Amino acid sequence: MTTLTRRQLLELGSKITLLMGLGSSAIPDIAEALENLASGRAKVLWLQAQSCSGCSISMLDSEAPGPAELVTRYISLLFHQTLSAVTGEKCMDIINESSSEGGHILIVEGSIPAGMPEACMMGHTPVTELVTRAARSASHVIALGACAAFGGIPAAENNPTGSVSVVEFLKSQAITTPTLSIPGCPSHPDWLVGSLVHLLKYGLPPVDTLGRPLMFFGETNHHKCPRFYDYERSNFAKSFSEEGCLFELGCLGVVTYADCTLRDRNGGINNCIKAGAPCIGCSSEIFAKNASLPFYRKGERKS
Amino acid sequence: MSENVRIDPFTRIEGHLSISLELDNSRVTGAQCSGEMFRGFEQILRGRSPLDAQQVTQRICGVCPVSHGIASVLSQEEAYKVEVPKNGRIIRNIMLAANYIQSHITHFYHLSALDFVDVTGILTYTGNDRFLKGIKDWVQSEVQSKKLFPAAPFLPRYEAKYLENPEVNMSALRNYFTALDMRAMAHQLVAIFAGKMPHMATLVPGGVTEKVTSKKIALCRSKLGTLKDFFETSYISDLFAVAGEFPEYFDMGKGCGNFMSFGVFTDDRGEVLFPAGVIVDGAQQPLNLQHITEEVRYSKYSDDSGFHTTKPEPHKQGAYSWIKAPRYNGRPIEVGPLARVLTGYESGMQPELKAVTDKFLQATGRSLADLDSCLGRHAARVIELQVLFKHLEQWIEELDPAAPTCVDFRLPATGKGIGLTEAPRGALGHWLDIKNSKISGYECIVPTTWNCSPRDNNDVPGPVEQALIGTEVMDTSNPMEASRIVRAFDPCLACAVH
Repeated sequence: MTTLTRRQLLELGSKITLLMGLGSSAIPDIAEALENLASGRAKVLWLQAQSCSGCSISMLDSEAPGPAELVTRYISLLFHQTLSAVTGEKCMDIINESSSEGGHILIVEGSIPAGMPEACMMGHTPVTELVTRAARSASHVIALGACAAFGGIPAAENNPTGSVSVVEFLKSQAITTPTLSIPGCPSHPDWLVGSLVHLLKYGLPPVDTLGRPLMFFGETNHHKCPRFYDYERSNFAKSFSEEGCLFELGCLGVVTYADCTLRDRNGGINNCIKAGAPCIGCSSEIFAKNASLPFYRKGERKS
Repeated sequence: MSENVRIDPFTRIEGHLSISLELDNSRVTGAQCSGEMFRGFEQILRGRSPLDAQQVTQRICGVCPVSHGIASVLSQEEAYKVEVPKNGRIIRNIMLAANYIQSHITHFYHLSALDFVDVTGILTYTGNDRFLKGIKDWVQSEVQSKKLFPAAPFLPRYEAKYLENPEVNMSALRNYFTALDMRAMAHQLVAIFAGKMPHMATLVPGGVTEKVTSKKIALCRSKLGTLKDFFETSYISDLFAVAGEFPEYFDMGKGCGNFMSFGVFTDDRGEVLFPAGVIVDGAQQPLNLQHITEEVRYSKYSDDSGFHTTKPEPHKQGAYSWIKAPRYNGRPIEVGPLARVLTGYESGMQPELKAVTDKFLQATGRSLADLDSCLGRHAARVIELQVLFKHLEQWIEELDPAAPTCVDFRLPATGKGIGLTEAPRGALGHWLDIKNSKISGYECIVPTTWNCSPRDNNDVPGPVEQALIGTEVMDTSNPMEASRIVRAFDPCLACAVH
């Protein structure tokens, strides 16, 4: 097993400490957590249900550690539909044997078609069954992304598959495995990596009433908004081409708990509100749920 | 001797696909391509604000959200009668082209390469690359460990012939990992103007909300330069390495022979870089949308479902896929990079694309007809990227920090619009109907819907199914030939079914 040097671990630890917003005293602890991860203790089984693979793709955009480091040094990625070399029947063996062995972290991406199990099948088996088995024997479940955490678009009003969030589904199956919700559409790779590290070093991170880690979802996007000054001065943009606070265009930053405005996306390149796009509340439990609550408003104050 | 082989789940593609093969004396005589996941986006969109559509439809697919977003705003702009300013048009071209780069790199290296590159070759590595040495130690310790599945997710795999030249193999393996950074960088290039990726935030009818600044132009240049360097020094040579050791794949995976492109990357004069066109039975013809139908005899929808109706029927007798069967004038059609290259080449209006294609054919000693193959589909991605890189550089220079990126518009009570574009995987169309300022109808026909379609009402198999029929599978417990042929189409199942 490759072990990073103490120095490398400390360096990486400090990066992660920074991204998790923890104090510098946590650096050695994080380094140790990474060392534990590196010794192959963290088996991760990744299942996709009604997903778009966006959260997987987002995970591949992770910067430090990047996906190659994650997979070869920190976790044992038992199965991942998009990345695994294995294909066909053998995949089912891996999923089934891993579920039997247990002790893994189960990451589920996508919602669960509870009302129409045939709407998501793998190896002739409804994904509802696979998730149930894998969740029961898992040490932890991570409901990754808007769909897994809260249902997202597949579970929105008028959906034909009786789709529900992973959290809701596990509850209906009376599965009590500790579960973390990491919403977002897609979820930010830092949110996943930071949560994994916390899970392995300290156990479950403190969460809000919806199971979201407070270290990422403790405050609203509005709190650290780059357009906060415009909001204070009631300088509201009335159309997408105007400058100013995006509130009257439908921005949900005021009620959406996430650190997007502080963290930025894609290696710090940009974020929605910074780029003039109203927050559509993708880490919120009501994201996309109601057909009558549109993402955007035009020149009309939202109350 | 006849035999049935099922590849389920079919991994290293986007989403939930299964492939069933009937073999007679090792040769595929029948193939079924099954989409295994359904969400119902078109039903979910009905009754929502039309402005929601470019956000909702992007979530059809996390790999090519840019294309769905663009198809959606194009359909809305037709309905709202709004013209996008020059900056907005250029930014959209940049975002879409950058996502082509992301998508093609991901497809070649992270989805397909493990069918050709021998990961275990790392065990004989003796060089000094610190990263490769780390990977070697990792694979070694994993293989020696008592884990149930050592070196996951790279093992287990199908046992078959992999790249045999150790240097070529090692270089491609190194590039698998470098390509992870490159595809993330291509996403950064999109996000400079998109706000974030996947799922762009800034796209709106009328343009793009993000502004042009000189800093952003410089950022674009810098990222693009690095990506182009990787493309020219690594991607192209790795493709040639695979073509060199697996030349037989130029003769395998011939599809239905019909091709279609909706056209993409419009310039100031309204000219398109990759033009719209259809090739049926070898003859080029103009695109006529009236010829498009969707058939459902073998799809899990009620018999009255089709282009504009989607009623799920999971237990329908005889149906084997959630994918519908779109047809053009009753014929199956292949879409994607190969279709873009062939329709562009045959149009006679694309000297640049023709020159790049001819150069490739010369270097490999192949004919244009040979591109209708497993390797030809991989080659088509490289050919179109070569053209695209040059134009991306020009587009970045055409951006104007002093000019607007979007204009305002009014939302009509009723309206109709069709948004046509080309996703990395091929022809994409969104059909929008608005009544009472709400979406009353929304239909998407997506590239993989065409390519991975099941048999149609006349029992004619879809393009991927046709590409599999006739293939010789040497070892039915390791059906690598079939896997390589299917993967070359770059199936995206979340798109295909939506």
